[in-house]
Amino acid sequence: MAAGLACEIDALLERLRAQMDLDGEREAELLEELRVHLEEAVAEGLAGGLDEAAALAQAARRFGAEAQVGRALQGAHAGWGTADAVMAAAVPVVCALALRWLVYAPDGTALGWPQLLSRPSFWLVAVVALLVPLLKLPRWRYALAAWVIFWGLTVLFGSAAALRW
Amino acid sequence: MTYQDQMRKGTTAVILLHLLAELGRPVHGYEVIKELQRRSEGGFDFKEGLVYPRLHELERQGYLRSYWQESGEGRRRKYYEITDQGRQRLAEERREWRAFRSSVDALLGLDEAA
Repeated sequence: MAAGLACEIDALLERLRAQMDLDGEREAELLEELRVHLEEAVAEGLAGGLDEAAALAQAARRFGAEAQVGRALQGAHAGWGTADAVMAAAVPVVCALALRWLVYAPDGTALGWPQLLSRPSFWLVAVVALLVPLLKLPRWRYALAAWVIFWGLTVLFGSAAALRW
Repeated sequence: MTYQDQMRKGTTAVILLHLLAELGRPVHGYEVIKELQRRSEGGFDFKEGLVYPRLHELERQGYLRSYWQESGEGRRRKYYEITDQGRQRLAEERREWRAFRSSVDALLGLDEAA
């Protein structure tokens, strides 16, 4: 495909991308799929005897307005949107609270690693926290980040159990 | 939104499921669109870009599955195929469509003319 045409398709896809607010990996996949579509549509126009500009115009017209398609794609992929993000953040927070309850007795004394590791409930919380990234939330990066923070705090609590935070 | 737009919006999912079930093989988005245009003989006018969100929704709902495959020239294409769950949904949609159509035909007095 000619460089000029490729640039025009890039520009169209960029306008479409501006309508979306998805994670980078998903956006890249969507745009890759749509690029192949547009390239094929342009090639069909060229094969039908149109010049480059006319083939591109025809492909773009048939494709639809970038804003409309972009919004529809956003709607198809955003899922629960805010609810996803809240859930992604809430699960590790619940795990962290459970861990806090396990580490600190009601009188404020903290368990050390040896006692903590002997508690089945600790392992239950740990396994649940490990499963968080498997939720496959559309905004899974939030979940992953929260999961990393949770484990960072766990190590901190465990290695400096005497600290009162 | 025109009457035809509303009808199309409400039926696109079942039409896509039917098409993929009938083709019985994985197809990429462009092929889906061309097949829709060919079968409707231009009567099902739609913006091609709007087919992709519907395909993606059906995939998220578990009615379709997809995979990427190299297509030469360093490009990949995304292929779609219907799942068992999608076939069940299609059967339900077809039943509902028949019932709905019968009701509307009866209300409009079209069942006698048919």
